[in-house]
Amino acid sequence: MGNITFTLNHKEVEYTGKATDRLLDVLRDTYHLTGVKCGCKEGECGACSVLMDGELVNSCMVAMGRCEGSSIVTIEGFKGTKRFEVIDHAYAQVSAVQCGYCIPGMVLATEALLSKVPHPTDADIREGLSGNLCRCTGYNAIVRAIKIAAKEGEGLW
Amino acid sequence: MVNGYVAASLAEALQIRKEQDVVPYGGGTDLMIEAPENVSYLFLHKVPEMRQIVEDADYIRIGGSCTFTEVLASPLVPQLMKEAVSRIAAPAIRNIGTMAGNIGNGSAKADSVLIEFVADAKLVLSSADGQRIVDITDFYKGRKQLDLHKDELITEILLPKTGLDNYSYKKVGARNALAISRVSFAGIIQMDGDVIRHIAVAFGAVEGTVVRRRELEKLLEGKTIAEAKELKEQFVNSYEEAICPIRGRVSADYRKKVCMKLLNRFLEEKGI
Repeated sequence: MGNITFTLNHKEVEYTGKATDRLLDVLRDTYHLTGVKCGCKEGECGACSVLMDGELVNSCMVAMGRCEGSSIVTIEGFKGTKRFEVIDHAYAQVSAVQCGYCIPGMVLATEALLSKVPHPTDADIREGLSGNLCRCTGYNAIVRAIKIAAKEGEGLW
Repeated sequence: MVNGYVAASLAEALQIRKEQDVVPYGGGTDLMIEAPENVSYLFLHKVPEMRQIVEDADYIRIGGSCTFTEVLASPLVPQLMKEAVSRIAAPAIRNIGTMAGNIGNGSAKADSVLIEFVADAKLVLSSADGQRIVDITDFYKGRKQLDLHKDELITEILLPKTGLDNYSYKKVGARNALAISRVSFAGIIQMDGDVIRHIAVAFGAVEGTVVRRRELEKLLEGKTIAEAKELKEQFVNSYEEAICPIRGRVSADYRKKVCMKLLNRFLEEKGI
């Protein structure tokens, strides 16, 4: 039985711990990727969202063995992209960020949504964000930000 | 790998299941809530035989490791199942949670399991020594009690290809997304002209397992709509007596009332 090999933010890594360890804890404690936030540890809040093979998942609900052979992207790995820049700018324009705790998850949920639906309706956006809780903004600003990102990032997704 | 095995084929998965003390790991979205320390997981996401959705003469065969997102994307899966699966949690959970996991967790609140009950789905249970096919209604022996041997995996779900189009489905939860069912209901009806050929109703999140009472359904089968209307009160009363809800987040009384409302609504929708 070898180690767990996977791609983390575009670099291949080998994890030597247990297959039962929680991806969220490993990202924060082993790899020091603290942009991944711990909210509820039961899949209710989306603060720990990451992309696994391009799909949004809650890292609190993933055991490390499930990561074998996969590609994980956290907010730190997404940050350098043109898409991030567009989303960042759109969120800033409408003040869609208040305390910020949910935002790494929201940004990755935005990326996951626009990857599937480049021109989302309000309903698509609310469905896409339905697993990400925000206790500050009331969501409307975030929905507006995503509409702006879809427009300004035309062709990126 | 410490505390885990990643199987690359069904044969490998079944061999590990036979020889080791492992917990089958589907998507992990239920397992990781408890996250017990001293277990070994058998990861099934790389087993190609469990990741496909295909059809044969009678059934849509859904691989146990298919995620809810994959089920929603498949042109083969009946709309009734898609409607229930689309109400599970939120995208991040649907992206990784699996069909066999929803069953294996053993909960009567599992949204896809309700549909399997009402549709008379069958499960393919595989072991290194062979395979057996069981009715989902027989597979559930009680809350968290499943007819799954220590060396078996739930490898496929067999959904009948026909007879599921004329349905009624309702999930009652406390919110739209990320809701655990408080009561869920599915009903299907098949008509021969004006005669009811088949009727099935199932209630989720009410008792220790999904409730399906075949003997009560038969009252309306072979009857015309007019005859069924005459028998409606008797039919509804028989469920009123049969259903014994458990108390949980909501009271037993509330659950019973909602069940009866949903049953009545289904009958009305279908002209009974």
